[in-house]
This record gives sequence, C-alpha cells and structure tokens, in this order.
Amino acid sequence: MELSAPRGFDLWRRLRHEPTAAFGLAILLIFIPLALCAPLISPYDPLFQNISASLTPPSADYWLGTDKLGRDLLSRMLYGARISLWVGTAVVLSAGMIGTLAGLLAGYLRGWVDEVLMRVTDIFFAFPSLILAMAIAGALGPSLRNALIALVVVTWPVYARLIRGQVLSLREQEFVSAARASGSQHRRIILRHLLPNTLAPLLVQASFDVGTTILSVAGLSFIGFGAQPPLPEWGVMISEGRNYITTQWWLTGVPAMGILLLVAAFNLFGDGLRDILDPRLRR
Amino acid sequence: MLQRNLRRSGSYLLAMLLVLGILAGCAAPAAQTGSEASSSETAAEPAASDEVTRANTLIFAADLTDLISLDPAVAYEFGGIQVVGSIYETLVGFEPGNAEIQPLLAESWDVAEDGDMWVLTFHLNPNAKFASGNPVTAQDVLYSWSRAIDLNMSPAFLFTDVSQLTKENMAAVDDQTFEVKLPKSVSPPVFLSIISFSLAAVVEQAVVEANAGDDMGSSWLNDNSAGSGAYVLDAWDRSVSVTLNANPNYWGAAPAMKRVVMQNTPELANLQAAIETGDADIVQDLGPEQVEVLQGNPDIQLVSGQSTGLAYIGLNATEPPLDNPDVREAIRYAINYDELIALLKGNAQLVQEFIPIGFLGHTGENPFTQDIEKSKELLAKAGVAEGTEIDAMVPVGTGPGGIEWSTLAAKIQNDLAQVGLVLNLQQLQSSELLNVYRAQEGKAVFMSWGPDFPDPDGNATPFTNYEARSLAWRNEWDDAKAIEMSKAAAAEQDPTKRIELYKELTEYVQHNGPYVLLYQPTTTFGLRSNVHGFVYDPVDTPSITFALITKE
Amino acid sequence: MTRFIIRRLAGLIFVMLGVSTMTFMLAQLVPVDPAANALGQNARPEQIEAYRTKMGLDRPVVEQYLTYLRRLLSGDLGESIRTRRAVLLDLRDYLPATIELAMASLVVSLLVGIPLGMWAAINRNQWNDGFARVLALLGGSLPVFYVGLLLLGLFYRQLQWLPGPGRLDSTLNPPADITGLFTVDSLLTGNWPVFQNSLAHLILPAITLGAFSTAVLVRMTRSAMLEVLAQDYVRTANAKGLSYRTVVWRHVLKNAMPPVLTTIGIIFGSLLSGAVLTETIFNWPGLGRYATTSVTSLDFPAVMGVTLVAAFIYPLVNTIVDIGYRFIDPRIQSE
Repeated sequence: MELSAPRGFDLWRRLRHEPTAAFGLAILLIFIPLALCAPLISPYDPLFQNISASLTPPSADYWLGTDKLGRDLLSRMLYGARISLWVGTAVVLSAGMIGTLAGLLAGYLRGWVDEVLMRVTDIFFAFPSLILAMAIAGALGPSLRNALIALVVVTWPVYARLIRGQVLSLREQEFVSAARASGSQHRRIILRHLLPNTLAPLLVQASFDVGTTILSVAGLSFIGFGAQPPLPEWGVMISEGRNYITTQWWLTGVPAMGILLLVAAFNLFGDGLRDILDPRLRR
Repeated sequence: MLQRNLRRSGSYLLAMLLVLGILAGCAAPAAQTGSEASSSETAAEPAASDEVTRANTLIFAADLTDLISLDPAVAYEFGGIQVVGSIYETLVGFEPGNAEIQPLLAESWDVAEDGDMWVLTFHLNPNAKFASGNPVTAQDVLYSWSRAIDLNMSPAFLFTDVSQLTKENMAAVDDQTFEVKLPKSVSPPVFLSIISFSLAAVVEQAVVEANAGDDMGSSWLNDNSAGSGAYVLDAWDRSVSVTLNANPNYWGAAPAMKRVVMQNTPELANLQAAIETGDADIVQDLGPEQVEVLQGNPDIQLVSGQSTGLAYIGLNATEPPLDNPDVREAIRYAINYDELIALLKGNAQLVQEFIPIGFLGHTGENPFTQDIEKSKELLAKAGVAEGTEIDAMVPVGTGPGGIEWSTLAAKIQNDLAQVGLVLNLQQLQSSELLNVYRAQEGKAVFMSWGPDFPDPDGNATPFTNYEARSLAWRNEWDDAKAIEMSKAAAAEQDPTKRIELYKELTEYVQHNGPYVLLYQPTTTFGLRSNVHGFVYDPVDTPSITFALITKE
Repeated sequence: MTRFIIRRLAGLIFVMLGVSTMTFMLAQLVPVDPAANALGQNARPEQIEAYRTKMGLDRPVVEQYLTYLRRLLSGDLGESIRTRRAVLLDLRDYLPATIELAMASLVVSLLVGIPLGMWAAINRNQWNDGFARVLALLGGSLPVFYVGLLLLGLFYRQLQWLPGPGRLDSTLNPPADITGLFTVDSLLTGNWPVFQNSLAHLILPAITLGAFSTAVLVRMTRSAMLEVLAQDYVRTANAKGLSYRTVVWRHVLKNAMPPVLTTIGIIFGSLLSGAVLTETIFNWPGLGRYATTSVTSLDFPAVMGVTLVAAFIYPLVNTIVDIGYRFIDPRIQSE
C-alpha cells in the first residue's frame, strides 16, 4: 500500500475539510484545553467532599451533580479527562516507539532478527489483550501505572507488525535502492528514508489506539485492576456509580458520555486522517 | 480478469451462504424468544404436592462471591456457613431470637470438673439420623471434630486455639454419649457457643470416609452432602448458585420449601431488580439507596436486622508511624463519625468498641468524636510530619451496611487529610486482601469482622489475644496486658464480674489497641410480600433458617 | 497443502510454548508466597514446608519451569489454589459459557454488521449511510461495561422484557451436559423451556459483547464494498446495462467478502477480551469471570490455565480459517 505523506500545512487544511475528521478534531480541541486547564477551571477540588450535598442532581451549584460523598462531578470529569488523555497518549507513545524500533529493525535487517521478532509478536497477538493486561496487573499489583505497563506490553506488537510491513514494501522501492547503491549507511537510510515514509500509517494507527487505550484503561479500572479510588478516572467513576444507576443516573451516565465523546473523537480523527493520507481510499 | 475473480469469489460466496444458513437457523427461534420468554414465567406446570414447583421453591439472592467450600471443616465465610448450617447440624444450637443455648443433636449435656479440666458429656438424641437414614452416633461426632482439627483450615483455630481442644481429649463413650475435656482456662458456656458454629457440624463418617480421596473428602463435600439437616445439597454451580433440596429423611419437621436456590448476585442494582421482578423471594444486604427506592412497594417487605458485624480499620502496630499509640489515637480523633453514619442512612449504628450491640459486655460508650485540634496535637507529640503517607488496603465491592468500601475509604481519607495524614488507598478483592492481612503485611486495612459464636469472647480473643493468630496478630499488636485481661474475662464464671472485666478490657483496647472501630451495620433484607416465617438471627448458625420459611 | 498445515501447526506449537513461558514468568512476579497462599492462615510452618516440597517449589526456577512444561504436555494444568480443584476441571466448567456467549455475539455482529455495512455502502452519503456510520461509531466508542449496565437497567429492570443476569432462571435446571452450551444441549435433549430461557438470557450479554465487533464489521463491510464498487469491472457491468441490484449481488458482494471474512477471525480475539467485562456485568459464569476472580485471589495456577486456553483459542481459530481458505481455494498464498 503506497501512502503519500503530505506536508504539515496541507494536512491541516485537508483535515479541516474532511467533515468527520473536523468533527473529531473539534471535540479534541474542546477536550484537550479543558483537561489541561482542569486545575484552573474546575469549580471544586475533585476530591473535596461535602457530605451534606451527597447525591445532588445536576443543578446550578453542581452542573453535573455530585456523588455519594458530595464530590462535584464536573470537577471530577475535568480531572478524569486529564487522566484519560494522559494515559492514552502515554501508552500509545511508548508502545509506538518500542514497536516502531522493533518493526524497523525486523523489516530492514530481515533474516533471523525479523524471524525472532515476528514470532515474538505472534505470541503477544495470541493473548486476548485484556486478559493479559489483567494477569500483568495482578502480578504487579493493581494501580494505574501497572495498568499502563500492561497496556504497553499488549499494544507494541501492533506497531512492530505495521512498521515492518511498511518497511518491507519501501525497501524495494527506487529511492531506497538508490540510497543503498550510493553507499548510504544503514542508520541514515532508516532515519532519512524509511521512517518518514512510515509516519502516515503510524499516525492513523496511533489515533485509533489512543481511543482503544482509553476504553481499555476504563475497563481495567472498572473491574479494579487499573486506577484506584479516589482518583477521578472515568472507569473508576462508573464503577463507583453503578449501584446508583437506577436512582442517580448521572453518576454513571456522565463519565460514560465522557468516554464516548473522547473515544469517538479519536476514532473520527483517525478515520479522517486515513482518508486523507491514503489516496487510494479517497474518492 | 473478471472470470478469475468470479471463480475465486465463488468459494467465498459458498462460505458466506454457509454462514448465512447457520445464521438463519439461529435467527428463527431467536426472533420468537422475546415474547415466549415472558409467557413462560406464568406457565407453571401443574404439580403434585411433593413435587418441586416455583411455589415451594425459595430463591434467595445475595453476594456469594466469597463462597469457596461447603465442607463444614473449611467453610468460614457467609455463604458457606449459611449452606453448611442448612445441611448439617451441631450438637447444640440457638433458636432464632433466643440467646439461650438449645439442644439439637445432643438432647442434653452435663458439665463436671475433673481435676484441672472441665468434662462435658453430651447425650445424643436417639432419633437423630442422617439423610442416609443412619443414626447420628457419638463416633460420627468424634470423627467430624477430629477431621476439622486434622484439616486445620481457616475456622480450625476455634477448636485448637480458642477451645484448646485436642483429639486426645475427645471420646465416644458409647453410641449416644460423647465426652470432651477442656482446660480450666476455657469457660464451658463459651465452648457451648463455639460448638454451635458450622465448624462443629457433624458429618456422617461412613459416607465421608467412603469418598475421602486425598483430602479427607473435602472436595467431595463440595458437590455432595453427608449431614442430618433439613436440606441436602443438590448442586453447587460454581459462582452461580447453590441448590438445596428438602431432606426426605429429615428427623425434624419437614420444611415447607422443598427446594432452596441460593443465587449469587454481587451487584446491588441486580439485587434490587431481582426482588422487584420477583425473580428472587428474598434478597440480602440492600444498600441505603435501594432501600429508599423499595420503600412503599406493596409487593415487598423490608426486614432490617442488627448484624453482629463491625466495620473497622486495622492499624498495624509495628509499622511506623502506626507503631506509636498516639498516632493511632490521633487517627481515631480525626474521623468525622457523624458524617460517616449519615452516609449509611440508617443502615448503621455508631459503635466504637469491639463488643457489638446485643452482646454481654457491650458498654454503649463512644468516646471519640472528631477533634481536629486534639488529633493534630497528638500527631505533633508523636513527631509525625504533615503529609506523612500511610498505605491502606480496601476491599473491592460493597461493605457492611450497603456502602461501597471505596466510598467509605475515601471518606476516611478525606478526614485524615484534615490532620495532615495522607492515606494511599489500594483496592483489593477481599480474598486477596485477607491473604496480605493474615500474613501481617497490612498497614492500614479496611475490613469488617463478625464473631463466630455469640459470646463476648468471640470478639475479645480475636481482637486482643495476639496468640490466637487472629486480628491482634494480623495487626501485630502483642500486648501482654490485653492478653491477660481477655483470658481472665473468658474464664470468669460470674456474669456480673465478667461484664466488669470486659468493660475494663474495652476501655483499654479503645485507647491502646490497633483498631479504629467505625460502626455496626444493619443488614436489610427485601422479601416478597408472600414470604413468611423469615427470621434473621446473626448469632445463629445459619443466620437464616430456611426450614422455617413458608410462602403463600 | 500438507506442508502448509504442518507449518501452521508448528507455528502454533511455537506460540503455545512462548505463551506458556510468558505466563510462567508472570507467575514468578507475584509477590505472594504460593505455598502460604495455598494453605491459608492457620498453616503451620512444617505444613508450608511440606507443601513446598510436594509442589516442587523448593527447586530452582529452571527446574520448576521444565516440570511445568512436562506437566503441560501431559495435559496437567495444576491445581487451583482458590477452588482446590484441577484447573482443567474448572476450565471445563467455565469455558462453555464463554464459548456460547462469544458465538452468540458473533451471530449478532454478523446479522447486524454485514447487512448494515452493505446498506451503508450502497446508499453512500445518504441518510442511511450516516445512520450506519453513527451506529458504528457509537458501538466502537461506548465502554462495553456501561452498555451492559444500561441494557440490564432498561430491558430487565425497567421494561422486564428480558431476563436478568446469569445463564438460566434459578428455577430451571441446566440441561444435560453434552457440549456445555445450554442452548445447544437443551435443543439436543428436546428441552424446550430451557432452550427458550437460555436463549433469552443470551440476548442482552450477546448484544453488549457484540456491539464493538458489530461496529468493526460495519466499517469493514462498508469500506470493502465501496472499494469494489469503484472497480473498473463494476463500472463496466453498470455500463453494460445490468441492473444495479444484479451488479451488487453478482459482483460487488463476492469480491468484498474476503477482507470481511478475515475480520471475522480477528473479531474472535476481541470477543474473548470483551468477555471479561461483559461476564462481570451479567454475572455470566465464564472464563472471564474465572480469570478475574483468579487474578484477584492471586491464584496463579488458575491464571496460567486461563491465559493458556485463551491464548490457544485465538491462533487456533486463525489457523483453521487459513487452512479452510486453502481448502476452498488452493491458489491463495499464505502471507
């Protein structure tokens, strides 16, 4: 699959004209600043308890209501967005880097390096990711940090495979052959020619994976293997609110809506990005 | 090109058709179930009087996640004890609502002295027989108790440590007479309370030995029963349900409910739904929010029972800064108990002593109220810096009184933050938490405790006696004075003096012990309005006697 | 052909070896003493020591590993600490529930996903397309556990149209154990009420678990169809005056199916992962619940067993799919 990597400005312009991508981008452009500014704009401390305001429905004082301990849901949502965004990008960046390195080496060097790395990814692919992540979190002890480690472990092989495939198809192409023939060093070929050309599919994959990771962390936290209370992580919040689902819907509904919007934004953004970067699909 | 594509795709089409064919096969019945499923509920089969129908089946829903064994020598958690108590019988027991010990398998017993030992002689009821039809003999009792000591599982310490019972000191004198010798440090009434607990239940020796395997029949008893109780085990569908059938050979009055299904329902919202829809006849442990919703529902009666459990925080007495009694006292003064009780909305009563309401020796005194100044002073005196961190373990799920453990812990964390202590919470499944706790590796631990037998000693020994390897041991509180006081109180025969001794011990533990006692929960049950004869008696084993329940 | 199968099976064995090594290593990371954990709080030191010797825990790690592998080869997965039963027996009890749920979810995904994707592609950029794409977006972005809670709240608690958590009403007895799948077993034994009831119990969890894979299938089918629709021969067929219907059914669908079929294989893996959460919500006594309770009680023999079985199913399904392709069309080259 041949992909063209448009220049930065071009990409930006095209993104804005792709309606789905623009929508995804718009949500992200709302969420990210809100999350970053959470300490400035949150009406309350996300951990501040006001027992006398326990389980207040959404109102003027508490826009999104309060939980059992009278903690403000809006403030918890804002801090929760921070956690989710941070977790999503941290996992995808780490896994992306490890995977890219492995994929570049495997695809460029071929031979036994390739064979070994690919067999290793086979092993990782065999595990259902959540079960492996659970086992890791169980062995290391449940915490947000260990959930991150677990998710990096289950995510990196995706990138290794992706990049390897890209490199394999690129290395036979003229500009790489030419660079080789002209005696360029391996490092130079990889950094100057291969890596930039694998960037496009990498970005698309990363965009989807941030969303998937946010879902996975929420899931792990929901069953107790991720973030620990009182951290306002969205999965934890849904877990804490699940006994009130019939009586105080906002305790679960609001964080679920947060997850939905953020994950959908990354999915839409990834969709748009792929449409732009993959000319074959652009119609 | 087209030709080739067509041929190639032909196979895919074939595969696709196959898939669709399977789908169509599944789809047809799937489409009908929506309506049929609802009609099947009403279509009860006509049945003979002794046949099992929905009308004589009792469905009891509760969180039974902790159910790990149905062997009387192993079971040591609510679900297991409830099942064991319905299938097996003990020598003596309690009647619901009556604190006086009653005959059960033993129709009478004598207490005598023999030098420095107590001698208890039990005379078995000659009518008592097992579900197999064979009589219950003293030999069976001897076998059952020896078996519990040999297996040495979780509840065994009640025999080996609390009662100081040894195999040498038990004897089957004849078929109907069973004799036990106890050291003088063990009070006979306390021992009688202990043997009303499921650990002392009598299994049929011949049946268990025939299926002993390599674990004295322990795993066999998970799927079969060998008891003399009103019910026999039909099936234990792991993590789903336990089904009990009426014992056809029961030597007492035949139970009205021919079948009891104990359904594992861990989520409060699902418990609520189960009782609202009538999927369950009885649900246990409704939370305050569920109670609010169900109040006023004409189909449902709410029954609250004072539980004998206590919610507390264990503070490891060797872990700095908790090793300093002033720090532990500071923590007790930092908590806002009023708000805590308010959170539980009437599902709990403030109790700050280890002897629960309803037990001999309960004082009703709650010396601690939130006092930030005093707490800070104590911390300063102990040299504890602002921002000192303390690791705390919190169970996953719903705690006593129907509040989420995590909510409870977050509340305490918030209070401690006001005096400059940082509580780091870690949530663990209770089984895992207990593993760490029992290995003395906890620091601050959120837990609840229920006495195994209805005597103040049922709590005094675990809470104060390091040697009993229970709570004091887990929290590494080895206090010679407390041990001595609890031993003296346990052995005291005069009730008035005994109350006095426990009062002193209570005060001592309140200020020196490694505990923050929080509250005594109320257990709220939801019952369909056609359910009668339901009694909840937390000191009884089992705490709910299924055999007494009838339905209109 | 035979060579291909042998190669795939060899690959599968290699993967299993890697998987078992990894689970073994994970178990070594657990901070709790397995012997003390297995014996409980009253265990005396000499009991713990005896257990350690009996289980070979006092041997060097490498030797333990080799023993573990040897046991695995003879089909011995060890004994669960929590349930005190052979892990294999436990898995035998829990696996069918998950298989049944995963199959039902796959059926839901196929029934909804493929037609919806086709419908969207054919009506590209019209309201139906938009509708399908929004549904796919929702399915792919909503947290599975919230969907489950919501469906239970609506269809069980509020409307009471469908039964609640679990595989069967408490009043019914499970059917005779043939395959362990309640719907299949009840059909085989002609137990109509149990069949209806178990099928009704399946609906909500299957929708919950299937939501994500349905979303994947909609997107996959849609884009595969669009790709084929843009091909020259389709345009030619259109130009020749064949009806649009004929074109779609005769040419487009056939050629759009291969990538969709591949996706179905991949979906199976995601179903096993999703089962952990779905089973928690619906109190479904399957592999996911078993895994969760085993991990939380640090019952690592059981955890190792679950991961091994789960990690076996996915490559196995894919190998079967690959071999199946080859049987259907020997010209397909493996990648």
